[in-house]
This record gives sequence, structure tokens and C-alpha cells, in this order.
Amino acid sequence: MQTDTPHSSSIAQARRTVQQLRIEASIERIKVSKASSDLMRYCGEHAKNDPLLMGIPASENPFKDKKPCTVL
Amino acid sequence: MCDQTFMAATFGPCDSCGKTGPLMNIYIKNEPVNYCSFCVEVMAYRGLQKGETLETLRQESDTLKKKLEEERGKLNDVELHQVAEKIEVVGALSIKTRRVLKGHGNKVLCMDWCKDKRRLVSSSQDGKVIVWDGFTLNKENGVSLPCTWVMACAYAPSGCAVALGDGLDNKCSVIPLSLDKNENLATKKKSVAMHTNYVSGCTFTSSDMQILTSSGDGSCALWDVESGQLLQSFHGHTADVLSLDLSPSETGNTFVSGGCDKKSCVWDMRSGQNIQTFENHESDINCVKYYPSGDAFASASDDATCRLYDLRADREVAIYQKDSIIFGASSVDFSLSGRLLFAGYNDYSINVWDVLKVTRVSILFGHENRISRVCVSPDGTALCSASWDHTLRIWA
Repeated sequence: MQTDTPHSSSIAQARRTVQQLRIEASIERIKVSKASSDLMRYCGEHAKNDPLLMGIPASENPFKDKKPCTVL
Repeated sequence: MCDQTFMAATFGPCDSCGKTGPLMNIYIKNEPVNYCSFCVEVMAYRGLQKGETLETLRQESDTLKKKLEEERGKLNDVELHQVAEKIEVVGALSIKTRRVLKGHGNKVLCMDWCKDKRRLVSSSQDGKVIVWDGFTLNKENGVSLPCTWVMACAYAPSGCAVALGDGLDNKCSVIPLSLDKNENLATKKKSVAMHTNYVSGCTFTSSDMQILTSSGDGSCALWDVESGQLLQSFHGHTADVLSLDLSPSETGNTFVSGGCDKKSCVWDMRSGQNIQTFENHESDINCVKYYPSGDAFASASDDATCRLYDLRADREVAIYQKDSIIFGASSVDFSLSGRLLFAGYNDYSINVWDVLKVTRVSILFGHENRISRVCVSPDGTALCSASWDHTLRIWA
């Protein structure tokens, strides 16, 4: 829920918008295919270290309950 | 929540012409000044280049918006899930509730993990803030701040303090933690940030010395903890800012914010400049979170979707939604590798999404009311969720 900015038709607002858009339009961008493959590569490199993804044994996860040990 | 105007209109003498009347609180070179609306217009008019009028500015603004869309569209050569078709599906997850943290007397609004991967801090609507040991469920510290809603809390990188954002006082304070359980920590509370509306989010930057806050007054701000001085302010949102997240990248000096104006913005912390803006959501953005590499971020919204934005491609690259999900998403966080996205919803469940294949992998049930926050532990071994049902759950 937002209130309408009361001076949306003002010169000050319009100038700010134009300046902001000029900056945003001029940034350098890369293709989605390249960006996606980079994200995939990051996931691949770090997947084996991700405990929630891979699941680690109870003995290594302090939050999982360990099986009771018997003393021989 | 967003029912207060964020422009704090005050009444008094104008800083420019001296006439008494209703004033606009604006920032010139980061200094707050109060000008009457006439002087604001005069200042803007003087700043116009030769030949510029309101009409030419509007036209230029429309042209630029179209150009921006075109440029972004040119690079959209393929969808993320198409590129991800060749990788393996995520295996069955064995994530279950391992701990239930009970102790709050009202809705738990926020939580944060400590860097030691076992402690966490949580805050609730009854003003109680509790520091827990996640392994033993021991309550290490507790602070009671009556007459306030603690809407945001954050652990300091050193583990020696917590920052709290007030919903009613409009302040963000820092409390040093003590080993002495009996010490009354409320007396050591130090106010750092002052906004003109509720503080919705707070986080420490790389050290205990600075905090970044987001507020219902539409701005974000960077503060020095020691002196309480405002170091930088960030203006651009046109409604309440509900969430912010700091870039995890070591060279990054940026953060992302999202709010009730349905926009998410990326900011340069040093200059205060808004670098990129994304307007795809159809309702309030409740939470924003960076992807672990820092090249992308996810947002959760009341429009029942979560979206992934790639910063280098400068566009939305995935929408996580299902026809059966109709309730708003309140919070998101990534697993350590970034492959899984955990999202908490107002239908009391947590959906686990495959970030790359854009499919849902699992649903975590257990909470008995809305999820207010989900947060993965620093080493990725566990997920903590905070809920309006007065409890927190640790999943692993």
C-alpha cells in the first residue's frame, strides 16, 4: 500500500527520473545464455559442499540426532 | 503495515526563502534540508538545460524506458531452465524438523544466525529478543523491550552484539552481548539509526562498526555504530522499503533492497547511487536475498511468486510459481551452493525450489502460522525458519 507521490508531475521528479534512466540505460549487459551458464557453473562447483543439497551423515551434522553408541 | 505516508511533512520556515508553511524534507548532497514546495520547483527549474521543459523531460523518460526494455530484450537469447536441461535433477531431500525453539510469547518477526554457525538471535512482536544455542536449545541471552515491535534483528560479524530494528520507535539499536546471563542487557542498548518510520530491516556490513537499515519511510541508510552518524542515505523507492541484503562478494560494495513499490533496487554503498532497478513483481516485495556468488538475487513477493534476477544480464531470469500457490511469499534464502531456494509463505509452508531448473523440489510442513523469515546457517548445514506461531524451527 503506497501513497501517490504528490508531486509526480513536477519538474524535479521528471529530472530525477530522466537522470536515473540515463544511468540505467548505459550499463553494460551480458547475454542470458552466458549469465545462466555462469550460475550453473557456480552451483556445480559448490554442490558437493552443500549439506542441505547432498545430505550429510548424522555423525557430521550437529543438528541430526546420532544413533546411540554401545560400549563393547 | 504500509499504511503510513513516508514523506514526513513538517511545518515551519523554509531553509531557502524563509516563509513559514508546509515543508518537503529533501536531501541535497546527503544533507537533509527543508524547502517549501515552491523553492523545490524553482531549484529544479534552474537546473534545467537549455530547451528542456516538463514535456521534453517526459518524452525523454518514455524513450529511455523503451530503450532500456529493448536493450534488455536483445540479450534474452535463451531461458535459464533451458540452459539447465542438461544437468542432473536434484536428488530426494531428507530435510526434516530437528529442533523447535519455544520461548517467544508472540509472533516471531525476524531471526539471524551468528557466524559461529550454532547461535542465533530472534525477535518478536512482544519486544522480546532471545539469543539461542541452536545445538542445545539453551537460551543464552534475553532482552525485553516493552512497548515495541522488534521487526528486524541481526547478529554482528564478531558475534559480540546484535542490532535490533524498532517498529514503533523507528530506531535501530545495537546491544552488546554479555556472558553473564543475569545482566540486564536492555540498559546497554545504544540507539544508532533514526528513521521517520518503522525500521523494516537491518544488517551489519563487513564489521561491527557500520549498519545498514531499511525503513517504512522509503529510504535505506548506512550508519556508523560508534557515533550514530548517518554516513550515506539511499533514496529512490517510492514506498516503504521492506527488505535489504548486502552483497556477499568480497569486492562488492553494493546491496539490494525491495519494497511496497514492487521495485527492487541495487545500490552503490559509497556513492548512494541507484545502479539498477527491476520492476516485474505485481505486488509488494517482502524479501530480497543475494545468490551466493553475488551475481544474482532472488525476491519474494505478495504476488505469490519468487523471482531470480541476474545482475550482469540486468533482467529477471526465472519465476518460481505454481497455480496451486496463491499465498504471498514472505522470505527467501539460498542453500550454500545456490542450487536450492527456500521460500517461506503465508500458507504456513516452506517451498524448496530448484533454482536452475525452475521447479519445486519439496515442501516443508510444520509451522502453524505464517512464516516470517527463513535463513540458512553460515556453513549451510541447517535452515532456520521463524513464524507467527511463536516458534522457530531448525531443519536439517
